[in-house]
Amino acid sequence: MKEPYTNILVYLDGSEDSVTAAMAAIVLAKRLGATLTAVYVVNTRALQDLVKARIFLDIEEQEYRRDIEGDAQRYLNHVERLGIQKGVKVIPVKTSGTVHTEVRNYLQDHHMDLLVLGGISEIHSRRDELLSETDRMMRTAPCPVLVVRDSDMVWDMFESLPDAS
Amino acid sequence: MTLTDVLKKDLIKIPVVAQTKIAVIEELVDVLVASKNQINREELLSAILSREALGSTGLADGIAIPHAKTTTVDSIAVVVGITEKPIDFDAQDGKGSQFFFLVVAPEKEASAHIEVLASIARATSSGAFRRLLAASRTAEEVMELFLE
Repeated sequence: MKEPYTNILVYLDGSEDSVTAAMAAIVLAKRLGATLTAVYVVNTRALQDLVKARIFLDIEEQEYRRDIEGDAQRYLNHVERLGIQKGVKVIPVKTSGTVHTEVRNYLQDHHMDLLVLGGISEIHSRRDELLSETDRMMRTAPCPVLVVRDSDMVWDMFESLPDAS
Repeated sequence: MTLTDVLKKDLIKIPVVAQTKIAVIEELVDVLVASKNQINREELLSAILSREALGSTGLADGIAIPHAKTTTVDSIAVVVGITEKPIDFDAQDGKGSQFFFLVVAPEKEASAHIEVLASIARATSSGAFRRLLAASRTAEEVMELFLE
């Protein structure tokens, strides 16, 4: 029987929840023998919006872009190391643009069959519902979406998975 | 992350009584300092004023968003202030500013900082929203407006 998921993508955004999602994705990938890709999108759309609205000066835009790109690399490296610890190769992908669009395009272009997300943020207002990137990602994904919520359970699952020898 | 994730009633000041740019910033900084005792007031004020020295964060339509990264806060915070009448904040449209959003973030939270700033820009881009904001008389009313 074919495994249900063979190409898994986990979305990282620098939050604790997204790292927990990555741990769950590593466990799944190991159990299913699936390929695991971790994507971090540098939100250049938001940066451009801030420059356009003249909230950011050009110098700030450059500084924050460097900061976010540094964050992206750190989180991708961290998840890669978690994968190595459990014998799962994690393919790191750093991209930039509008977050939900970039993720949807990657899912489509690379024939991913499962998107793993952590931290769907709480919706406080109608405006949040319209603008939440993770919410839009979940609604526009062309494949099934797994939302990881219980971090204690994920930690237990991850810890109980034997380390790579 | 959006503004509503970090908006707190005790960080909304209505009315802001200061009448000059520097005094408004100080008043908003003091609201934040009063709510979190580990914040170094001078360090925070210096970070905000250093950014302001590069160019005014007074935008158009009465909105001003003074902001900075600083090591003196451990999480993103937004202080909202509204003056009774517009004051001179060196705004880009040359008009007075009345709605103030002081945004401070630790250096390690660049992504979330940008998202919060962008969510403020989006929310305040509506003329109808700004009129409702101007009509708000209490922190509760402002909270309700953003959480609608």
